Amino acid sequence: MIRWFLRGVTRRRLTTRYPRAEEQAPPGFRARALLPTEPLVGDEARDVAAVCLPRALSVDPDGALAFDEQRCIGCGLCAPALAMDPGYESARVGNSPRALSPSFRRSLHIRHVDAGSDGAVEQEIAALLNPYYDMQRLGLFFTASPRHADVLLVTGPVTKPMEAPLRRAYEAMPDPRVVVAAGTDACSGSIWTEPEVLGGVDRVLPVDVYVPGDPPTPVALLHGLLLASGRTREASSPFTGRAA
Amino acid sequence: MIALEDREVDAGSLATELVRLGGRLMMLFASASADGGHDLCAFVRAHDAHGGVIRLRAPVPGSTYPSVTPCVPAAHWFEREIHDLHGITPEGHPRLEPLVNHAPDEGEVKLFQEDDAGVTHRGAERLAGPGVFVIPYGPVRSGVFESAQFLVQTGGEDVAYCAQRLFFKRRGAERRICEVPLELAVLVAERVSGTSTVAHALAFSHAVESLADTEVPPRAQAIRRVLAELERLYNHLEATVRECEDASLAVAQAQFAALKERLHRIAAAVAGNRYLRGTVVPGGTRIDLDAAAVGLIAATMSEWEREWGRVLALLLRTDSFLDRLVSTGPLSEEDARDFACVGPVARASGIDLDTRRDLPYDGYPALAVGHHTDGDAMARMEVRFQEVGSAVELIREAVGSLAPGPTHVAIGPLVHEAALGAAESARGETLYWLEADGSESLSQCKLRAASFVNFGAFNRVFDAQVLTDFSFIEHSLGLSPAGCDA
Repeated sequence: MIRWFLRGVTRRRLTTRYPRAEEQAPPGFRARALLPTEPLVGDEARDVAAVCLPRALSVDPDGALAFDEQRCIGCGLCAPALAMDPGYESARVGNSPRALSPSFRRSLHIRHVDAGSDGAVEQEIAALLNPYYDMQRLGLFFTASPRHADVLLVTGPVTKPMEAPLRRAYEAMPDPRVVVAAGTDACSGSIWTEPEVLGGVDRVLPVDVYVPGDPPTPVALLHGLLLASGRTREASSPFTGRAA
Repeated sequence: MIALEDREVDAGSLATELVRLGGRLMMLFASASADGGHDLCAFVRAHDAHGGVIRLRAPVPGSTYPSVTPCVPAAHWFEREIHDLHGITPEGHPRLEPLVNHAPDEGEVKLFQEDDAGVTHRGAERLAGPGVFVIPYGPVRSGVFESAQFLVQTGGEDVAYCAQRLFFKRRGAERRICEVPLELAVLVAERVSGTSTVAHALAFSHAVESLADTEVPPRAQAIRRVLAELERLYNHLEATVRECEDASLAVAQAQFAALKERLHRIAAAVAGNRYLRGTVVPGGTRIDLDAAAVGLIAATMSEWEREWGRVLALLLRTDSFLDRLVSTGPLSEEDARDFACVGPVARASGIDLDTRRDLPYDGYPALAVGHHTDGDAMARMEVRFQEVGSAVELIREAVGSLAPGPTHVAIGPLVHEAALGAAESARGETLYWLEADGSESLSQCKLRAASFVNFGAFNRVFDAQVLTDFSFIEHSLGLSPAGCDA
């Protein structure tokens, strides 16, 4: 044990200073597509929308290309017509977020429920505990019981067998409570369709914060959790998500 | 391309034929035939180390056929799946309950006397009486885990039996692959098991490349090897982190988690995604490794390997870790063969198989397949530790052998009607069977992740174990519910 202790105390600090300092994504990182400033129209718009499997890109009634970032999986197949945005901070507040309790500010207990994810987002959530992100420094904790939880962190597009367990976990939580949808499939259903999946957490529960990403990076998850506790703001680009 | 030997038998003698062939049942599924009936299709590998794959076709004219599970236990989940999806009844199946179409809330929690393959489990004889009860653990479990349920039958401390219930996460991947245009289908395959993205994309792409007789350029093959081995590394690290967490070794957990994080950062820098999505496509790769990427991999991997060696050496001298893993959750070679296990789980139980060597692809050099005979949790971890070393070596070799040239060739017209694709994920053999009928999408897809077969053997490792060993056993198997459920 003494060897582990020495190993632990002799390593240099790895932990990010996020959110006090920005965490930069590597230049080629494909977080989501970026609509060009000059709107794409006509055949060009149709061709780009045709290669978008999760239907993040569509042609609106005026013939212009529209983008739903909650559906984008960052596959990059729309390149070179569209560029890719590497920005990590992808979390967005939903359309009718609940008033947050001031008691959330410095201590937030999180219960995770997997409603049919692909498994990578669970590892990204678990990565929040590694020395690089160390979410406990921010007063964020996982809890085993939904009765102790402030946040329900839901992954996956909600498969039919997981609908009831998901509802039960939510109902077991005391008020005030917040629901965070983690990952593009939890935000919108992504590439998955009925009948096996319901198509996003907001088909079942009111969602307060959306964290798209395929999978969402640990920084994006931290951003979402801080957003859920009212400790940070959305990134500056316009919200193009699931408008009502 | 995988050489297939086609044979046709009648459904009544399928079991006899499978027993006569011996070997390993890779997968078994049904598809609708033109005359309104169904065809059963079994893939068998008579010898893993050499030879091809035998494809047995058995037409089922009616709605029943004699079950093969009593003779070939590995068929147990496949036959229940066939029953769920096609309404065909394998008569004589020891437990024909719903598998993939289960209604989780209506299932009665009961004590099992027999396991899934119909064998009276040893715990039932050892531990019986009114004090035995069932802990329904899951699908929502304590901690950050994927959804799966384990019905742990126990007298309080000793586990008599543990029944696994999966398929809470079934998303209909096979249906989606056939619905979407062929050039987008790989995006679905990538998301079947998000931590085995490259392996699934590779197995799918190998099948498409066989359908079209397309040869992948050497540069793309080398890049694929780099990506596949990088994926193997972070999956093996994940298993190690989880085992350290279970053993309450906080420093070890943090050190291995930091090593894992560095792999994801390499992935993000060279491939634009921390889980290597959008990299492998039929015909080659969508990314290229330029001089900067090669430099980054070369520089970071040697330092990474040194760090890994140091922390691992420390771990292997930590008694509180070894005590929990040695002799925990043993899987006998017989059980591993009966249930046709694959990957590190099979290799730890003395079975010599590795898709990279047995059904070679993407120019892998000659591979020494490490295997172990103990079959316990420690053996499974030791197999992974060996593979971490060989994966680093393979990455180094692949980066060094990057020939100039294209990274992608266009997929031509599909000249064959059906093909099998395979790849070795960190969890073992991953299979895609694809059929094409000339339209824009595939007409049939059957995928089989490594976790589907390894989960089938889950209840076999719980003989004479105690409750507190549960998480050690589970994490030593390193299973992916997402891949199993698809």
